[in-house]
Order: sequence, then structure tokens, then C-alpha cells
Amino acid sequence: MNYLEDIIIKIAVENPVHGKKLKKNIGKQTQEYKNKANEFFGTYIDFAKKSDKDLDYGVACYLRMLADVNQEYIAFLETGEYTTKSFEDANRRVYNNPEVMEYYMHGLLMSQYLWVHHNDIYKFFVGNIIAYKNDVKRYLEIGAGHGMYISEATKLLSSDTVYDVVDISPTSLEISKSFIAKKDINYMLTDIYEYEPSEKYDFITMGEVLEHVEDPISLLKCVASLLKDDGTLFITAPANAPAIDHIYLFKNAQDIRDVITKAGLKVEIEHAEYVEDVSPEIAEQFKIALMYGAFLKKQ
Amino acid sequence: MNKETILEQINVIGRDVFDDESIVLSESTTANEVEDWDSITHVQLLFSIEKQFGIKFTSAEIAKFKNIGEIVACILSK
Repeated sequence: MNYLEDIIIKIAVENPVHGKKLKKNIGKQTQEYKNKANEFFGTYIDFAKKSDKDLDYGVACYLRMLADVNQEYIAFLETGEYTTKSFEDANRRVYNNPEVMEYYMHGLLMSQYLWVHHNDIYKFFVGNIIAYKNDVKRYLEIGAGHGMYISEATKLLSSDTVYDVVDISPTSLEISKSFIAKKDINYMLTDIYEYEPSEKYDFITMGEVLEHVEDPISLLKCVASLLKDDGTLFITAPANAPAIDHIYLFKNAQDIRDVITKAGLKVEIEHAEYVEDVSPEIAEQFKIALMYGAFLKKQ
Repeated sequence: MNKETILEQINVIGRDVFDDESIVLSESTTANEVEDWDSITHVQLLFSIEKQFGIKFTSAEIAKFKNIGEIVACILSK
């Protein structure tokens, strides 16, 4: 079933600007990417069915989320700041606002295969985690979402590896359970600051979390404390990416590196790319979002 | 301000944002008819319109913009 093509056609009717972008970006992707996207949207439909929703609902949520991003981006161009200033703000606007949380969650899920830069960071992760194959016996993921990273880790790492997932949101944890195929994963609903594992980890993944907190240095220090001395931490974070629940503004990749260093970590290998296909000069001029991913070690 | 005046001013903004002096935007114009109307210039267009008319678009309004006519109608409603 070609869900991907159906989705793009529906989006192009409602939002011709974005439809044009998706046709261009998805058109460049391999058949393997399109097959994986269709498989993902099949899983999404099963997930949506549980609450009597369907793919059209997902598309509508995605378009609402996109309008939010555009509105935030307009404000960002004007002020150079994110509009959400604190975790309390984010709670009020999004996390504790069931109506917003509902469409935002579905919109974000839809974006996983519509925003192709997610895939480039994913390829960076896949291409490099293999180097840790024999060293990782304990793997932790903080906020696993639909499981893009952990699903790949379970295929690439050794078969006796233990997998734990920690999430502060029950909704998000339910999504992880629905989307991740591997069954023997330990899911824990807790705040990472309060999490006390019996043993430290060889590898920790934390994708797109740093921009959601007021103090990313403190969060990284906390996560580093759960890592063995020779362990590895994989993080991703966007710079210049206004969204209704983004609090901490990284203005560029160096801002992210500075936070990493201040948290007592160092970059082993990194990947950064703009989310639009533009030159660095244009990206700078129009404050285009940049996606950053890195494998980190303790200093 | 009437529809024609708003459309005229949007044309001035559009020529600047899309960097094309020959552009003529009508109510039915969509991104499909303007080569450089992409996600970046779309936000620039809305940003410049907000400044020009001294208004703010809500997220729900932005979600409904399929063509220039819908942007004009939204400005008129404010």
C-alpha cells in the first residue's frame, strides 16, 4: 500500500507550499526509504485505530503542527528568540493541554518519514553504532518516541544486550511500546533526574531532548552520570528550530558543542545539516534550522 | 482597506520576497504557479505581510492559507 504517496497528495491539496516541498524531498529518496515509510505509516494506522482515528486524522494533525511551526518561525524571525521560555510554559501550552498534545503527538509521528533530515541523522547513527557492537551490553534510551534508534540498535548490537527505555510522559511511552517490535525491552515511566539504575550503561541514546529543557548542561551531566566511564552517549538536537515546546535556543552547532563540553563530555564524531537544501549563507540569513547529532564520551 | 489595495500591496511584497519583478499574484495564485514560493519564502512572505499590515496571523489562520486570496481574506477580517 502506498500510504506515502496518498499522504503527500492530501497534504498538497490543503497546503500547496508544503506539498511542493514534500514532492521534491521524498522524490529524491530511495525505494528502500519509501518502503520503510509505508511500513511505518501502516503501523501508524494500527496505532491510530486504537483510538478510532485514521490516516486522514494524522494528516490533519500534521498540518496543524506545521502551521504552529510556521507561526513560531515568523515570531523567531522577528525576535530571534523562542516564544516558550520555560518548562512551565511548555507544560501550559503543550504537555498539560490535552487538545494540543493530541494533534502535536500525531503530527510529530507523521513527520518522522515526511521530514527527510530525520533519515540523514538516522543513517549517521546506523553507520556509526556498529563500531560499538561488541562493547554494548547495557543500552538505555531516554525518550524513545516511535523507536527509530532503539529498533536499529536491537538489530545491530549483540544479542545479549539489555535494553531499557525511560520516558517522563505516559503517552510517549505508550507510543514506544506500540511502535517498537522487539518485546523484551524494559519500559520505565520516570523522570531521568530521579532514575537510579542498578548498573550503569555502556550506551545511551537521547534524541531531540536537550532543546526541551531549560538547562541542557544539567541534563547532560545527569545523563553522563548514568554512563560507564568508557561508555558512549548519542545525542541529537536542533539549532534555530522554533516549535511550541522548544525552550533552549541553540543558535548553531558550536552552541551545542559548548554545552557538551561544559557537561564534562567530548565529541567523538558528529554530523550537522540544515533542514533545507540551501547554502550556509542562505541558512544563516534566514535562520534555517540545523540538525545536529553526535557520539560523545566522557572527558 | 479594500481587497484590491491589499492585493496590490501583497504583489509589492511578493516581488521582493520571490525576487522577481515580473510576478503577478492574483487571488487564485498558489505556490504551484510561483517557482520560488517554497517553505522558506512562504514564511518570509507571511512575516513581511504581518509587518506591512501591522497584524499577527494565528496558527489556525496560517493552516488555512492555500492561495493568495485566502491571505487577503484573512487580512480583511482583521
